[in-house]
This record gives sequence, structure tokens and C-alpha cells, in this order.
Amino acid sequence: MSDTQRAIYLDYAATTPVDPRVAECMIACLGFEGLFGNPSSTHAFGRAARAAIEQARAEVAALIGAPAQDLLFTSGATESDNLAVLGVARGERRRGGHVITVRTEHKAVLDACKQLEREGHEVTYLVPDRSGLVSLEQLREALRPETVLVSVMHANNEIGIVQDIAAIGALCRVHGAAFHVDAAQSAGRLPIDVQAMQIDLLSLTAHKLYGPKGIGALYVHPRCRARLVPLQFGGGQERGLRSGTLPVQQIVGFGAACKIAREEGEAEAQRLHVLREQLWTALSELPDIRRNSDAARSLPGILNVAFPGAEGESLLFGLPELALTTGSACNSDSDEPSYVLRALGLDTATAQSSLRFSLGRYTTAGDIELAAAAVCREVRRLRAISP
Amino acid sequence: MSAILAPELPATVRSLFTQLHHAGPLAGAVVQGEAGSVAQGVQVRFFWQVEGLLIRAAGYQAYGCPYTLAACEWLARALPGRSRDAPWPGDPHQWARTLEAPPERLGRFLVIEDALRAARAAWD
Repeated sequence: MSDTQRAIYLDYAATTPVDPRVAECMIACLGFEGLFGNPSSTHAFGRAARAAIEQARAEVAALIGAPAQDLLFTSGATESDNLAVLGVARGERRRGGHVITVRTEHKAVLDACKQLEREGHEVTYLVPDRSGLVSLEQLREALRPETVLVSVMHANNEIGIVQDIAAIGALCRVHGAAFHVDAAQSAGRLPIDVQAMQIDLLSLTAHKLYGPKGIGALYVHPRCRARLVPLQFGGGQERGLRSGTLPVQQIVGFGAACKIAREEGEAEAQRLHVLREQLWTALSELPDIRRNSDAARSLPGILNVAFPGAEGESLLFGLPELALTTGSACNSDSDEPSYVLRALGLDTATAQSSLRFSLGRYTTAGDIELAAAAVCREVRRLRAISP
Repeated sequence: MSAILAPELPATVRSLFTQLHHAGPLAGAVVQGEAGSVAQGVQVRFFWQVEGLLIRAAGYQAYGCPYTLAACEWLARALPGRSRDAPWPGDPHQWARTLEAPPERLGRFLVIEDALRAARAAWD
């Protein structure tokens, strides 16, 4: 049995396995009998591929309450975030180009903002409160006449905290700033309605909701379309905003994953909430642990816990039977403590002693029991040898 | 950091980390030396039982990454029988090579060396 077969997977916030129902749809696209035609071609093969893409586009759009024609496909949330942040700020340079975001955003947004600063844009980084929430008052104070974009993630990938997106959207609309939301973690787990929430741009990725890697989408409200400057050029696909031949099987898989999420997401969220609380209760037999996010305002499947006295990397290393992380898998090359936890005001040692448990579709109550027992064992061992 | 971290670390570190037989306070130790802090991300305390001019047994307590714990265990195994004039083998660079540690971990080994130096000073 391989390591991956033995390990209990608790890293669904990093990526999810492809749902077998999704894989089946994708496999049907491959081969000569499938949908291999270039969707830009006008012959029968191309038209068949195009029809499948448009069906999938409708499924993805339905998940977020958007008209299908306002959705463009990308390679994933990183590209969507880059296109939204760089595209709007560059397109609105003449209006001042000021951007507002939050210190706890994903690197795909933060690094895009750093690039904007190198290009001469001004960026304001809001500091959330200790639970990770951004206040409307902070945002109101930061907004200026020259603010062209506000980018706030729906649910944080490390601590799971969920922002009040509708309230932020309303504030942005009043001030005339475009509002971008990275919904990579929340899509399929929380209800999203881009129109009711007054969202102008929204990033999605398939691989966080049991779809394939390498495909994502960006919702663009019609009022933002003209302001958005593309990042890549070529065949003019996706209304000229994202050139490149569309990967039919990936898009079909994405559509299938969104359809399943729409039908099953609510029940799954309730189940994950119960499992997450079971995990927290079981871990709570350890003294002096700290929950790093507000239970009432976080994603149902994410639990971030600090185990003071047990260094995080050693803790992970002592738990080969569990697949989890000390933070974001996207920051894997660094042994620095999580910048998200540091932004919440945690000291270095507490941040370094934190683990993120992210539960998903295939997590069972038995997994939770085994995982909690293993973590308690290892924390006790490391604390016992700590000075 | 990858989802399953353990297989990415060198075999020597894995082997030592899973057998920290010398971890914990050492009964009857007369010499102690400590360095670092939890806030720094690494804290080490060595305990030595000594007999005349020789180390008879060694133990340690440590907070830190797997390389830190593996290095402490490796040293605790190597210390018994060594003399007061040369109480520990090699230096942090050599320990890092032995454990195939990446360069950014050297700082942890310097803290371990400080703890050993503190123990050596306490022996006097």
C-alpha cells in the first residue's frame, strides 16, 4: 500500500480529488468519438465541442447566479485573480488606479498587487481583526475617488473565515469601485449570488470543488468588461479577454463539478460542519490549544488550530498517517510561519505551532476519530520533550 | 509545505526523529546547558552526566523542526565517552552535512552549538 493510500486526506482546501462522476464526463470527451474538435472551428467537430463548452459555462454560471455570457474560462484561480487585479487596475490607470485589498488574501492577489505597485499604482492593504474579518468602517476609510478596485476573498484558505461579501459589495458600488472576490474556497461550499452580492469580478477554480486541475473561470460584470485589459493575446477567445484554445474536457469536468456542487453542496456543508466540530471536540482534550478562527463565521470544512509547545513542522512530520498542512500549500517553499496567521496578530511561535485541517466530500467520522487520536498522541510527545 | 511532509526529509533525519530515545530530562545529570527560545522557533537544553573528565550519558529537551530534534538526538548518542576538552564532535556545518540539511536550517544548528557551549561552561 502506498503512502497516499494509507494517509487520511485532510487537505481539501489545497485541492480535492476529482469526483468519479466528473471524471466520467471528462473521459467521454477524449478520443476520436469524443469532443476533441477545436471549439473555435465551424465544422461539426468544432460545433460539438462548442456546445459542450456552452453547456458547462451555464452550469458554472448557475453556481454563482451569473448569466453564462459573463463568465470566461481561465487556467485557474491564480490566472483569474491576476486578470481581475492587473486587468482592472491597468485599464483604469487614468482614473488613478488605486487598489484596496487585505493582508490575508491569497498570494495570487497579493503578488499581483505588488506588481501593480512596481508599475506605480498605489495599493492599500487592510488589516483584518483577530478573527480575520475586515470591517466596513476600515474599508470606508480606505476608499477614495481614485479607487478603481477592491479585492476581498470570500473565504480564507488558511483559517476559513467568511467575509460579509454582500455588505462590502454594496459599499464598493456606492463608491464606484469595481469589486473582485476570490471564491476559490467558497464556491460550491457556500451560496454565492454575484448579482445580489454586487460582485463585479469573481474568481473560481475547478480543482477545489472536485473538478480537474488546470481550469478556472472569471466572472466579469458587463460594466467591467470594457475596463478589463487582457493579460494574454492570440486567437481572441473568450471575447478577447483570454486568448487560447479552450480545453474542452477540462471545461466539461468543471461544469459537471459545479452541477454536483449546486445539487449537493448544502447537505455536504452541513455534514462537514458536524465533522469539523467533532474534530475540535476531540482535539480539545489537549490543554492549551487555540482555535485560530471564529467557529460561527468560517467555512464548514476548515479548522485551524494552534498547539503551543509543539512545533508545526515536527508535528506534521510525526503524523505521516495524515495529509494536512501547517498553512497554505501555495507557500510550500518557505519555512516561515503563515503570513495569514501573523496578520491576525499571532506571535511567531503560535503561528508555527498551527495546523490546518480541511475536510471534504470523502472525509468520514472514522477519519476524524483516527486523526484526532494521532494529533493528540504527537502533540503530547513533542510537548513532553520540549524544554 | 506539501501535504505529506514526512517522505521529503532525508532518511537520516526520519530515522532519528522517529527514535528520539534520548529526549527528556536525564536523571542524575549534573551539567545543563540551554540556548534559544520558543519565540525564536528553536530552543534546546542538554543534560550531561559526567564522571571525572568524561561525559557518561547525555539527554536533551528540544523545541524545533525535525532537523533540530534529529541533530539533538544524533549528538546525545555521540556525546557519551567524550572528554571535557572536546565534548562534542564536529561543528554545525558538519552536522548539517550529516543530516543533509538545507542551508536555511544552519541557524538551528548554531543554537544547538550554543546549548552545548553553555553546558561545557557549566561543567567548569
